[in-house]
Amino acid sequence: MISTIITMVRKELTDAARDKRSVMAGLYYAIGAPLMMCGMFMLLIGQITSPEALNITISHSERAPDLVKFLASNEISQGDDADRKQIELIISEDYASNMANSLPAEITLIADNSNEKLQSSIRRLEKSLQVYSAEMGSLRLIARGIDPKVVQPLKVVVEDQATSDSKGGMILGVAIFMMVYAVFISGMNLAIDTSAGERERNSLALLLSHPVSTRDIVLAKIAAVTIFAMVGLILTLVISKIAYGFVPWQELGFSVNITPDFIALMLVIGLPISLMAAALQLFVSFMAKSFKEAQSYLTIVLIVPMMLSMAASYNIAPDTLQWLPISGQMQALIAFIKGQEIPMLQLALSSTTTVAIAIVLAFGMERSLKSEKIVFGL
Amino acid sequence: MLHGKVNHMGNNPSNKISLKQLGALMIPAAAGLLLFSQPTWANTDNTSTAESCYVEGLSDRLRCGSVSVPENYNLPDSKQIQVHYVILPAIKPSFPSEALLAIAGGPGQSAIENAPGFDKIFSKVRQHRDILLIDQRGTGQSNLLECTGEGFEGALSINDSDVDIGAESQACLDGIDADVTQYGSNTALKDFEAVREHIGYQKLHLYGISYGSRMAQLYMRQYPQALSTVTIDGVVPMQQSVLHIGDAISRALDLLLQDCQNNTLCQQQFPQLATDFAQVNDRLSQGPAISQTRDPLTSEPTQLTMTQAKFMGAVRMALYMPNVRALIPHAINQAAQDNFQPIMGLYALTINSTGIAAGMHAAVVCGEDWQRFSSEERQQAEQGYFGREMLKVFDQSCPIWNIPAVDSDFSAPIDSAIPTLVLSGELDPATPPSWGEMAMEKLSNAKHFVAPYATHGVAYQSCGNDLIAQLVSQGKVDELSDECLNKDVRRNFYLNASTVEAIPQKTDDSVPASAQGADHD
Repeated sequence: MISTIITMVRKELTDAARDKRSVMAGLYYAIGAPLMMCGMFMLLIGQITSPEALNITISHSERAPDLVKFLASNEISQGDDADRKQIELIISEDYASNMANSLPAEITLIADNSNEKLQSSIRRLEKSLQVYSAEMGSLRLIARGIDPKVVQPLKVVVEDQATSDSKGGMILGVAIFMMVYAVFISGMNLAIDTSAGERERNSLALLLSHPVSTRDIVLAKIAAVTIFAMVGLILTLVISKIAYGFVPWQELGFSVNITPDFIALMLVIGLPISLMAAALQLFVSFMAKSFKEAQSYLTIVLIVPMMLSMAASYNIAPDTLQWLPISGQMQALIAFIKGQEIPMLQLALSSTTTVAIAIVLAFGMERSLKSEKIVFGL
Repeated sequence: MLHGKVNHMGNNPSNKISLKQLGALMIPAAAGLLLFSQPTWANTDNTSTAESCYVEGLSDRLRCGSVSVPENYNLPDSKQIQVHYVILPAIKPSFPSEALLAIAGGPGQSAIENAPGFDKIFSKVRQHRDILLIDQRGTGQSNLLECTGEGFEGALSINDSDVDIGAESQACLDGIDADVTQYGSNTALKDFEAVREHIGYQKLHLYGISYGSRMAQLYMRQYPQALSTVTIDGVVPMQQSVLHIGDAISRALDLLLQDCQNNTLCQQQFPQLATDFAQVNDRLSQGPAISQTRDPLTSEPTQLTMTQAKFMGAVRMALYMPNVRALIPHAINQAAQDNFQPIMGLYALTINSTGIAAGMHAAVVCGEDWQRFSSEERQQAEQGYFGREMLKVFDQSCPIWNIPAVDSDFSAPIDSAIPTLVLSGELDPATPPSWGEMAMEKLSNAKHFVAPYATHGVAYQSCGNDLIAQLVSQGKVDELSDECLNKDVRRNFYLNASTVEAIPQKTDDSVPASAQGADHD
């Protein structure tokens, strides 16, 4: 029986490999996604860490030359008309006289805070103004013979338990999400082709007429799709390992390391997920009447595991999700990256559930393949 | 005397007490493992190097540890002391065999207590390399030589000319359980090298601020093979005694008076500033001005005994910080009108703010600077107020500390081809640019940059820290440029207790007075 299955898996794989373009299409995601993510982050980091000169409109700058100078030393100035941002700072007429009398001197900041392009610039300007104000406040106290410590009643000492690796956990959470997604995407084409596609080509009935049991056929198909999913996962991991090393994460104050340990854990955890993904995709494809229909169904069905996965990486309802399939495994992986203890019980339970779902789906398929309705797509 | 970095007010109000918990690793020195005159720590037990810990002012988890070294390297089996260190771990350890060793000033400041400042300026270096901070022997966590009873409760009311420096020194010495002759720079350098070997770094990049620049230069002389690059900032050249600092202070004070003279607003507000200063100085030299006031911190009523030493000391310390420096003209002007509140505010900032271990300070200065000060130098230094006062103190205290003089070759210029960046601030009230020039004498692979608007500690005040990051990553000085140091960051002086902008004339009803501000300075 085992040898029959192996023969059939080989047949499925040969079949799939014959159409090289569709094989590659299945793996494009596995290769492309981590590369695109790295490219995106490189751009983002470049933007965050080398703040350009901020050009704004300062009306009546002659009323507060020292403030203007201070802002200029922080790279905030009028600059050229052309690249001025839509931020205006108006210095009030009585700025100097209020300042001289220790009354609050008014400056008006005009900007659209809902404009995403301006938000960071506005924050930067506000922060600079706060620094200026705080410094003057301290010096005014000194000039009156008062220690500036007086106006800092609380001293909050923060002891952050994060390490530079665990600070990168958020980024890796997204990365893990994309890896799990790779498992689903990589095998999808093959799953549709070997079920709905085979039926469309009328080779499914032929296969079923051979003296092999339906169970063997189902197992062989699941095995073939699982192999594809795992190949996709391995590819993603290898590409991520290389590509993430090129992103200057350290400039954001943390590091992102895809360690061999992580790769091993990901592969172990990924196997049951691949099995379930394969079973699920095959099951849905068999239910569909045509190749196209299968594609549409799968896109919808895939949303469920993806939601679970995303919920885990954005930490939505973590207490419930850690027991569920996929999200449970995701949380275990995130915990591993953050250097926390892996929740073994939850991981075991969610993995078992995952495998159980795969088995139930396999049984379902086995039964459905005995029905003529399914086999001939009636 | 030199101070590495006085606290920038406002940012970090206190810098006492540094470590929450120091994971001290007590490694007993196995007798015989330490070779005579062998500076390195020959310990084979490398089980664990450091525990995680926190330093006040930094939320990051750091690694802390200590190395046991003999207090006297000539008697390796006798008393051992613990030299503590802290590692600010690299964000991405691309070069695990390298670290930047930042050496604090003083002499007597704790590098570990200054960790937040070092972390801030070296954030770029830390992206790839560890930052190593060692509490030099006699400072911070490493067998601190401080003078107990260094209370500052009576700092406002005390008349410091009544203080018997000899007796104070004797009391301090009596309270210290250590062989104070073993706390000089060269001995401490052996500890640094022992720490380096203990942690296992192949190469160090050095950053020495103020007195720390002397340690860095000695490192270049004694262990050049362990160094990749060196940055010395606010430089004390080997060739001269630090007691020349009196001239540097006077120079910085003159520059301040000049700056105010050249600034339209300041000049108009304080046209007599130099005269005011001389007048206050003259008056206080006759005797202190006594008044009733409120304590700057507690607001308790107290007597303010404004002595010449306090006045000059407050002005001197304010010269260290560019933002506080802006208040000096107003403070002098007010003092001339018999209002010592602003001066008291400045003075309060200096009380217990530098965190200098007095015993270690004396051990270094008495051994390395006081005795090599020749009589001609002495005569010259005594021309100025600061030099005179400083000598008076050390002339009384050093005979009590009784530290043997360093060898004469201690004063030889450093002859080295290690890539070296020398930084000086034009306005520096401790180590003027000419000192940096002197240090350059035999440095064959070095650049000396003078930041025109910086005071003491160029890396803290300008793009100097970026230059250091560039030096560390490139490993050479060729491509360094001082262009960014020249960016004009000057600000206005305080014209009264409230403002830095032109004060509108009350009678003036047509022209806004602030129009003049455009061409200040």
